[in-house]
Amino acid sequence: MAKDVEEKTSSIKIQKKPLRLRIWNNRGFYLMFIPVFIFVLIMHYWPMLGVRYAFFSSKMVPGGGIKWTWVGAQHFINMFKEREFWMAFKNTLIISVVKLLLNTFVAVLISIFLNEMTSLVCKKFVQTVIYLPHFMSYAVVAAIFTLFLSPSSTGMINETLKDWGWIDKSIDFLHISSMWRPVFYIINLWKETGWGTVIFFATLSGISPELYEAAEIDGATRFQKMRYVTLPALSSTIIIVLILNLAKVLNIFEPVFVLYNNRVFDSSDVISTYVYRKTFMTAATDYGYSTAVGLFKSVVGCILMLGSNYASKKIRGRGII
Amino acid sequence: MAENIEIKQAPEREAPRKESPEKEAEVKAKAPRIHTIEKKRSKIKIFDVVNYIVFGLLTLIIIFPIWKVICDSFNAVGVYQFKLWPTQPTIGGYATILKTAKLFRPLLNSFITTICGTLLGLVMATLGGYVLNQYEMPGRTFLSYFLLVTMIFSGGMIPEYLVMKKLGLVNNMWILVFKHGMNVYNLVLMKNFFEGIPASLYEAAKLDGCSPMQIFYKIVLPLSKAALASIGLMFAVTVWNDYSTVQIYITNRSQVNFQYMLRVMVMDGDTPTTSYKVSQSTLYYSGIVCAILPFMLAYPFLQKYFVTGVNVGAVKE
Repeated sequence: MAKDVEEKTSSIKIQKKPLRLRIWNNRGFYLMFIPVFIFVLIMHYWPMLGVRYAFFSSKMVPGGGIKWTWVGAQHFINMFKEREFWMAFKNTLIISVVKLLLNTFVAVLISIFLNEMTSLVCKKFVQTVIYLPHFMSYAVVAAIFTLFLSPSSTGMINETLKDWGWIDKSIDFLHISSMWRPVFYIINLWKETGWGTVIFFATLSGISPELYEAAEIDGATRFQKMRYVTLPALSSTIIIVLILNLAKVLNIFEPVFVLYNNRVFDSSDVISTYVYRKTFMTAATDYGYSTAVGLFKSVVGCILMLGSNYASKKIRGRGII
Repeated sequence: MAENIEIKQAPEREAPRKESPEKEAEVKAKAPRIHTIEKKRSKIKIFDVVNYIVFGLLTLIIIFPIWKVICDSFNAVGVYQFKLWPTQPTIGGYATILKTAKLFRPLLNSFITTICGTLLGLVMATLGGYVLNQYEMPGRTFLSYFLLVTMIFSGGMIPEYLVMKKLGLVNNMWILVFKHGMNVYNLVLMKNFFEGIPASLYEAAKLDGCSPMQIFYKIVLPLSKAALASIGLMFAVTVWNDYSTVQIYITNRSQVNFQYMLRVMVMDGDTPTTSYKVSQSTLYYSGIVCAILPFMLAYPFLQKYFVTGVNVGAVKE
């Protein structure tokens, strides 16, 4: 982004007018930007000032106020000592990364094989259908699968498995620690994989048909064409998708929050849900501590983001931000 | 060369197909005379059949839960049955939602916030995107960095909560509108779209005596209908589907949106009414259908707009 800015400004320099005149000429645009500016200032920059609370301890004052006392880095020391925090950190990394790799892998598979489908009508139909779950909220998806996986007599999956004689007793999938993550991954595959193929299809539509023709003349079989033409064309997109999402691994909140419960904390609690619990579900809330955990998350997230931006620039010559 | 590979691979590829030896011999006999592609077409079929079956199953996996939910929402039977249509048709679930104020209010809130949030979001994204596209404007780089920072760093959940509390947006459904009203990512999408409008159009308008504002209203906006539609849809989906904001900021039941109500009802078993005439699961499934209905109805017709929004941003080189 910065690069093309420079290029464009340098070409304009030739006919440069005095700064004051240029500002005056563009006054309408500044006026247009004012609402955006104020909005961003209040909704995004003001909270950033709030990170200073990470070094304070809060106490509720009767009458609705909050009293802040300076504690220095005490919250961070406490945080790093806390077992629950490290558990949440570990879970965040495992859940996000496995989910990302799984979703991307399946999305690539789907795109490659769907690309081989000859009937355009069928292709379009499959695309339409697999994009569908993306537009349902996590709350809805969680509600659907909670009802389906319910161990009671209304739970479709348990009842069906019992009918088929695969199990004798209902399994409470979402309340068993060892089952929770696989179920979570499957639900996420159902919801997001189809949508993940959009970007790969866009790339595939850009592959020149000449490449396939050339491969055909050289005697490539169907699988050889998929392996040596389609897959290499997708590889850079795959890397970009991974990088883009790697920058956001710590942000996972809603997908986990809607499905987890206190019986499976050890395998499902992630940093954001940990912050949420520490703030809104404990009796003596210390906003300072939650802010400190949030700050840690933001800083690591920031480093990841800049790192992926750098990697993206190296690989495709264009940053992600 | 090509022939060799063809023939060498033929037996393995055709192994699963049960075909009479005469026919196979016939194909082989024809092979030298007919063009290679002709021969391949007959061979490819098995791959195609498998491919179609696999994708058929895939679409079934996606559609089945949705269909089952819709079907059970019309079914008065509370116990699970493996039926793909309602055995005792009823619309009691929907009637209950519409009649119960505690369920209808959230639905209404969802509609209000979605409409307002989309409008605000579009105004912001259009204004910001258009201004960021003015390369002659002094301070443009500063403004784009000003927005960029918010994409990289955020204050986090708690400082945001404290600010919203000061602004009086806690326990207030308008938080949904304001929280999603300014989306930097969508603003950049809009800017990218404006960039694609040919510069000659602007120049022609300028020569005809249009002021920058007139160019914006009379040329840019009418040309951007498709982009406005797809970005508007993105905003609408985000606001309508937002559950976590409500979970964090709103505890007052008259201010929540429908997603939250649904979640509370299904997951926590906290049904706000006892006067439902249908079974509990019918009511739950009707709730789910209400929560997905607006976009499921719009989706087949607006699919183009749903998808282009992503492509504008993601693949633009």
